[in-house]
Amino acid sequence: MATKFLAQEQLPALLEALAQGARVVTPVKSDGVVQFELWSPGTEVELDVLLAKQSPKEWVFPQCETYLRFDYTMAPPAEGAEGEAALPHETVHLRTTNEAPRQVIFGLRPCDARGFVQMDQVFGGYGGFYFDPLYNARREATTLFAVTCREPRSTCFCTAVGGCPAGQEGVDALFTEIDGGFLVEVLTAKGEAALAGVATAGGAGIAAPTGVTAGAVTGGALLDATEAQVAQAAEVKMAASAKVEPPFTLEGIRDNLHDNFADSRWHDLCMRCISCGTCTYVCPNCYCFNINDALVETKGERYRTWDNCFNPQYTEETSGHNPRAHKANRFRNRFSHKFWYYPDKYDSLLCSGCGRCIMHCPTRIDIREVLRVMGTPVAATAEGKEA
Amino acid sequence: MTETASGDVQGKSRLTFADVVPDAGIPRAGKLSGNPYLPEVATVVQIIQETPAIKTFRVRFDDPEVQRNFSFRPGQVGQLGVFGVGEATFAITSRPSEKEFIQFSVMRAGEVTKAIHNLSEGDKVGVRAPMGRGFPVEEWKGKKILYVMGGIGSAALKATIEYTLEHRADYAGISILYGATAPQNFTYQYDIVEWQKRDDIDLRLTIDRECDGWQCDVGLVPAVLERMAPSPENTIAITCGPPIMIKFALLSFKKLGFTPEQTYTTLEKRMKCGIGICGRCNVGPKYVCVDGPVFSLAELNELPDEL
Repeated sequence: MATKFLAQEQLPALLEALAQGARVVTPVKSDGVVQFELWSPGTEVELDVLLAKQSPKEWVFPQCETYLRFDYTMAPPAEGAEGEAALPHETVHLRTTNEAPRQVIFGLRPCDARGFVQMDQVFGGYGGFYFDPLYNARREATTLFAVTCREPRSTCFCTAVGGCPAGQEGVDALFTEIDGGFLVEVLTAKGEAALAGVATAGGAGIAAPTGVTAGAVTGGALLDATEAQVAQAAEVKMAASAKVEPPFTLEGIRDNLHDNFADSRWHDLCMRCISCGTCTYVCPNCYCFNINDALVETKGERYRTWDNCFNPQYTEETSGHNPRAHKANRFRNRFSHKFWYYPDKYDSLLCSGCGRCIMHCPTRIDIREVLRVMGTPVAATAEGKEA
Repeated sequence: MTETASGDVQGKSRLTFADVVPDAGIPRAGKLSGNPYLPEVATVVQIIQETPAIKTFRVRFDDPEVQRNFSFRPGQVGQLGVFGVGEATFAITSRPSEKEFIQFSVMRAGEVTKAIHNLSEGDKVGVRAPMGRGFPVEEWKGKKILYVMGGIGSAALKATIEYTLEHRADYAGISILYGATAPQNFTYQYDIVEWQKRDDIDLRLTIDRECDGWQCDVGLVPAVLERMAPSPENTIAITCGPPIMIKFALLSFKKLGFTPEQTYTTLEKRMKCGIGICGRCNVGPKYVCVDGPVFSLAELNELPDEL
């Protein structure tokens, strides 16, 4: 795979070239908040703020998506029908909807890309489970161009969960900021295909994989990277990695969560949680959803929306029985889902260490603290207290 | 950090998942293609008022091919929905051998069940079925089967009862203990009358409080079960009913000497997707919609206490 150099001032031209064949989504600062938004020429890409408020999750897994439309009509009776069959009868017509435009997400961080990889497991039917056509159509149509985290924040803990500031998992091309621009490492055939239409200079272009027709696009010149540029990028990555000290160790966490299921420390930890669900909405991995219907006269739709496992109604049954009636049960479920239940079912954790839940929690609940406490055997803590 | 940072900074995971996920990295493809969210349109062909609060709906798929090819295992469930109101999960209560229709028994309780109760014959519904894991009825060949159920819990066991009655010769015995609050609250009374006539079914009916003209047992299901004192020998005990009844029935089974491996129940949870994704029906790492709803007590004992 190719390694290129993109001059800083060429970035808009590159995005414009990409926008010829796909919609381009980038972090954009607006009214002081950085969010992933649709890019168009003239839009300034915000890369100085490390993390957008939310991950680009919603571009693949929208907050609200209609997947079924229905239409009640009265059908005329069949020709020659007699008796009751001769009366008009009700029918319903169904139409499925699943919009999956080709898109390139530029400027997400390696932890955000890894979030998609982790969610791919549950939606992709790994382990013999069901394949979700809604998510996968958009995931398939999405190319991820991540940017190496030059200055990780104090809340970052990607290294504790197996990632790193220059992580490549799920990344189709990795952009690392160096003097004068970016070192561009093309990592997948998908990344190659997206860049195939981009003009190259000073060397061989990126060949389009077979079957992909490159559009006649100009601009966004990618140069061959020099050895010095490659070396500088490696230094940037190493320096960034060194800044993320793993705040806990994964080893034994699952077993300890299991053993500590009934432990009273869950009650202490959740005390200040207000069940607002902010952590679930900003999380690049939280995927739980709700399904609802809407009907206006004879036309309606069925849609799914993000849900929040901290909401008591999330599991409340019609009878009034609620298996997770108490806040501590729901609190425990979220962390256990990420570090015990999900790894039990799939080949992955459900946390990429972005730290957004720590940054945005209104009561400053810290997942690292929760895991340090609950990921420790009861006996060890007791000893710790005595010491 | 200093040691590892000099290593593979290109971003390959330095910490492996091996201690968390033993077989990490092995891609395993999904078993189902198509759109599992898309219901099949079906028509209500018959409605039976079972009790004041429970109706049974017989529905037939509009696509004759879908109807012809439909099959399920006793104990499996389905999503029955009214377009514009929503879907909910119900046990399939028809005989597994039934080819003409698929049947659900629905107690009026919330929004969706209210809309279902308002349906008339000829109305359209959406069905996603079958879902989940049924009872291992083939493994039970040669054994005695004891059904212990209360109220609407009979719906979850109906298809299994029918299956074992259709294959009566494969099973050493069939006992049914069925309890309801009052005589009018028994479902499937038309079938109960037939079961009473058969000498190859040991049928016990009980109501919570005495009532004029009632000639069967009186008392709560677990208490009657203990009076019955069935032998655990070569027997599979299956229970379903209100959560409180299940709880005490399981205790009674234990008291009578049934092992957790011999004891089965079927769980109910709030569900949305029905395909193990949306996240709400889990008990620890198990999802009731795909890993259940049928569980042996031995399997339940392995799960965290969050029923």
